[in-house]
Amino acid sequence: MCNCDECEQWMQPYMDRVLTDAERAEAETHLNECAYCRKRYRFEEHVRRFVRQAVIEPMPVELKQKLADLRTPLL
Amino acid sequence: MSETTREPDARRLATEARDRVRFEEDALALSDQVYRVARHLVGSREEAEDLMQETYARAFRSWRSFTPGTNLRAWLLRILTNLNIDRGRRLQRQPDQQPLEEGDYFLYNKLEETSDGPTDEDRVVQRLSQNDVVSALSEVPHDFRDVVVLVDIGDFTYADAAQILDIPVGTVMSRLHRGRRILKQAMAESTVGS
Repeated sequence: MCNCDECEQWMQPYMDRVLTDAERAEAETHLNECAYCRKRYRFEEHVRRFVRQAVIEPMPVELKQKLADLRTPLL
Repeated sequence: MSETTREPDARRLATEARDRVRFEEDALALSDQVYRVARHLVGSREEAEDLMQETYARAFRSWRSFTPGTNLRAWLLRILTNLNIDRGRRLQRQPDQQPLEEGDYFLYNKLEETSDGPTDEDRVVQRLSQNDVVSALSEVPHDFRDVVVLVDIGDFTYADAAQILDIPVGTVMSRLHRGRRILKQAMAESTVGS
């Protein structure tokens, strides 16, 4: 039987889709009944998206040119 | 006689030149994506830029060892992580100081308990700032951060990350699991204080 502690343990594997079908079903049953865990799972989705966006730093244009300059010259 | 031996040779050289040009173009087309990951595998932008140049110089030299049809982005990052290790970054690691991480609900609970008024997950996430996330990520110890950066920012599979870092898939999974928790804990500290 899934409780909140177990549900917390399953959060990452659930979102990475690596739980077994049975585990997944059990987690979903708990999430349907438990607003506390549901909120935290939704928050995790937001956080993952936010982290991914927040850390993007565009490559400097000069670096791009430097990399292109490393190419083997055409004879 | 000499015609027949020269001609296949010339054709082989032309084919090789074409393959090399194609390889270089493909590798350069991926440079933004490689940089996105590289930038957070090392501490500073300068280091990331140096590492990118070393990586591309080596990749262009050893392009023949790339198997066409396999994952070029992973191949480039494998070179990059090896160069990074060669630079002695690993020596800076202090295994005794790996933090004990909190659970997966810690960040949410921390943000919720320190906010005024009603909370929902949308509003709670708005309290996080971009700078806090960047500095929190840089605080995650290298072994854990490498995996988080490859999987969560670089979108690599567990298997690709395992190959790039030359560690078993099981180790990728456990480091990823802990690394994300350590990251969330660092985010909690930078957002609301410890």
